[in-house]
Amino acid sequence: MIYMYPETIVYLIMAVSSILSVVAVYLAIMERDLVRAVLYSAIQSGLYTILYYFLMAPDIVLVYLPVAVGLIPGVLLILISKTERVEKE
Amino acid sequence: MLDTLVLISRVLGLALIVLGGIASLIGAIGFHRFKNFYLRLHPLTITTIWGCVYPLIGVTLLTITLSELGVYRWFIAGASFITALIVLFLAPAGSHAIARGVHKSKTARVQPCLADLLDSELCG
Amino acid sequence: MIWELILIIALLYLASIVLFTIIAFKGPTLGDQVLAIDAITYATIVLMVLFSIYFKEPILTVVVIPLALWVYALDIYMAKYLEKGDLGA
Repeated sequence: MIYMYPETIVYLIMAVSSILSVVAVYLAIMERDLVRAVLYSAIQSGLYTILYYFLMAPDIVLVYLPVAVGLIPGVLLILISKTERVEKE
Repeated sequence: MLDTLVLISRVLGLALIVLGGIASLIGAIGFHRFKNFYLRLHPLTITTIWGCVYPLIGVTLLTITLSELGVYRWFIAGASFITALIVLFLAPAGSHAIARGVHKSKTARVQPCLADLLDSELCG
Repeated sequence: MIWELILIIALLYLASIVLFTIIAFKGPTLGDQVLAIDAITYATIVLMVLFSIYFKEPILTVVVIPLALWVYALDIYMAKYLEKGDLGA
């Protein structure tokens, strides 16, 4: 069964990571605590990494990954620690 | 002689990869079953060592015998072995840093607690 | 034999990624979410190496070493933010 349709597994992995990344983006927008929003953004970028990998673009993964997992949470955490953590009404 | 070595290497590599998949699923269920932050460090360790380091060594043992991959199979073998070493060194350091930060910032309580000599308010 | 087994193991890793992502979405504290992001990344590493064997394209393996290194950077950022309240920049 699996041996007959091997590309179904690849499409299944891509579909699951797409759906989970949509949920992560929704939670990152709706979250009041900004540190948690940074972590949701990190989850989303990790799932996008799987998508880029299965779209056969490892060079884009090599560029996207340090920016999305390394640089943006670091810069945003510095910014949050300079201002305030919880978003007001 | 050489065929026996190839067979042993392939069987050992596949066994490590299968064991890694099962251990990763066990760690994922354990993340839901444990109730506390400090208890969840234990399934994270299962996921890290049994689910990531040993399958990568298994990939190393498997790919050096797969001649379908061409000359570049040595590249996969070396890269996965280096990644196994990196994960083996960096993942315990990272989880220890997180546990230390959470304990210092008092965000999680030590729930089955006999004694906490660092900060006795967090106990229980 | 080897290729079907690799696909089945990839399905096991996909299931564990989904379970870790649920914990990363609803974890009670910040530490749980960071631990879940770590576990997602380590499962993703093995998934990528397995599909690099399956597709018979060895250049796809390059991605996994920066992935293992940058998640450690995310750990250190969050630990320092939780411990001191800022990143000292």
